[in-house]
Amino acid sequence: MYAIEVEKLRKEFKVYSSRSGLVGAFRDLFTRNYKMIRAVDDISFTVKQGEMVGYIGENGAGKSTTIKMLTGILTPTAGKVVVNGMNPHKEREAFVQTIGVVFGQRSQLWWDIAVQESFRLLKKVYRVSDKEYKEHMEHVIETLDIGPLLDKPVRKLSLGQRMRCELAAALIHNPPLLFLDEPTIGLDVLVKLKIRQFLKEINEKYNTTILLTTHDIADIEALCERVIMLDEGKIIYDGSLQRLKENWGEGKQVQFTFATEVTEEELCALTYDIKATWRKEETNSWVAHVAPMHVSDVISRIVARYDIQDINIDEMSTEEIIRNIYEEGVVHG
Amino acid sequence: MFYVSVFFQYMAQYMKTKLQYRADLFVEFLSDLMFQSVNLIFILVVFGHTTLLHGWARDEMIFIYGFFLVPFALFGAFFNIWDFNERYIVRGEMDRVLTRPVHSLFQIILERMELESLVGGVTGMIIMGYASARLHLEFHWYDFFLFLLFALGGMLVYAGVFISLATISFWSDARSSIMPMMYNISNYGRYPIDIYNRVIRYILTWILPFAFVGVYPSAYFLGKKEWYGYAFLTPVIGLVFFMIAVMLWNKGVKRYRGAGN
Repeated sequence: MYAIEVEKLRKEFKVYSSRSGLVGAFRDLFTRNYKMIRAVDDISFTVKQGEMVGYIGENGAGKSTTIKMLTGILTPTAGKVVVNGMNPHKEREAFVQTIGVVFGQRSQLWWDIAVQESFRLLKKVYRVSDKEYKEHMEHVIETLDIGPLLDKPVRKLSLGQRMRCELAAALIHNPPLLFLDEPTIGLDVLVKLKIRQFLKEINEKYNTTILLTTHDIADIEALCERVIMLDEGKIIYDGSLQRLKENWGEGKQVQFTFATEVTEEELCALTYDIKATWRKEETNSWVAHVAPMHVSDVISRIVARYDIQDINIDEMSTEEIIRNIYEEGVVHG
Repeated sequence: MFYVSVFFQYMAQYMKTKLQYRADLFVEFLSDLMFQSVNLIFILVVFGHTTLLHGWARDEMIFIYGFFLVPFALFGAFFNIWDFNERYIVRGEMDRVLTRPVHSLFQIILERMELESLVGGVTGMIIMGYASARLHLEFHWYDFFLFLLFALGGMLVYAGVFISLATISFWSDARSSIMPMMYNISNYGRYPIDIYNRVIRYILTWILPFAFVGVYPSAYFLGKKEWYGYAFLTPVIGLVFFMIAVMLWNKGVKRYRGAGN
């Protein structure tokens, strides 16, 4: 059985575009220009129990909308969603008992009351028995290191502290499926590492399925074997992170800092036969993207021709791979 | 049963929060008390000039006002949904509510609880006591239960109308000023219904049944037999309007669009 099963899922929003100017505003009073926007456009995918999937895309690509449909917050316009064997928006109350949700930009906890009071309320709301709570949460609290924070009101916590508490709160009922919408947004590196570590651990311990959206590709690299990439409401890539890297990340980048100004034409002409592509970083700094076997070739040619202040050789980062995919539109291979 | 225990859990939590801000609690209590006494003075001044209005004596009108305060206080304490659009729709708090396994309306009611509004109910009872002493009203043992039933009925009328208004936010994201307007209309319910013309009377009885919050149920305690039928309709009207509101709510939630991130 799949944890998540989505088929031809679609969500349309009706938005109205206002006309410009005062006359336009008056016309808007009487007739409005409505436009249908497809935030999510016939997407299909499945997620197995225990998988950790990264769901990525630019702002407005439809990530949050998908997550909100999967969690039963939004009703889909068309298509089939089965999550944990249930239809999220139809059987909402029974369904949400089986999922945990963390929205990085929105607190799940009550602002004014101490963290442990929030936990107590949630424990009641999710009908968790004292015994289950003790067994499970003691471990969670310890791993996330939030014991000392429990008696503080949420509004007094730092973002990193709050995020760890949010995560613990989402796990009170030990759900088999966890949705994380940008859980590491705005956090410092140490907290990020701790959260990643923790997510890995619960995934191993309880076989918890995790679907995660993030702008920090390092989250995905640390956690997910599989990524689903979204652009303008459509899935443009669904597969392993490894394959994505192999298809797109072959080659190295060599960064040169020139002493004098150079033009792209000059550089391209010089490296025409080894198919290097050039990108300008700063005034005198250029990056060449070449196949690994041509690295030394590029360096020797450039060094022979120009005055060089600095050279760096890098692997393509996942972030760059993803940027390239978005810039070029389609995934090849 | 589960809902009752969740209710008490939230209530306990609410008390704890309030007790944490001792100064706030004190100020709030004081300002509530002042608000109520200003109201009371207003009533005495207004009714000081008229001794009889369409067959209603001054003290009878004061009694109606006193009664009205009780369901109104209950409504204020448990259905504090004035800022629903702003808070839950525009700011997207509804997202959080919808990821919890309790009915969404129930959760919002619990989160927005304002128990200090109940002070108004106490004022109302004092006013009723004063008025009934001057009118030499007699009460039976079952009147207490009828009073509870009517007060709850009146609360549900209020809740029904205002929840229905709140659901508009699900269909249109424009902010509307309909809530304050409705609040003003609701005040008509605390004056004797037969001073209005037929159309307004009809509206206050069947469409926006605010007469069931003040004048109709009070008429029972004042012994006005011609209104008994309406008085006993109070809980029925309350339930009907509340149920309509819940139905509208359930329909509306399906149309919730969420706030963008």
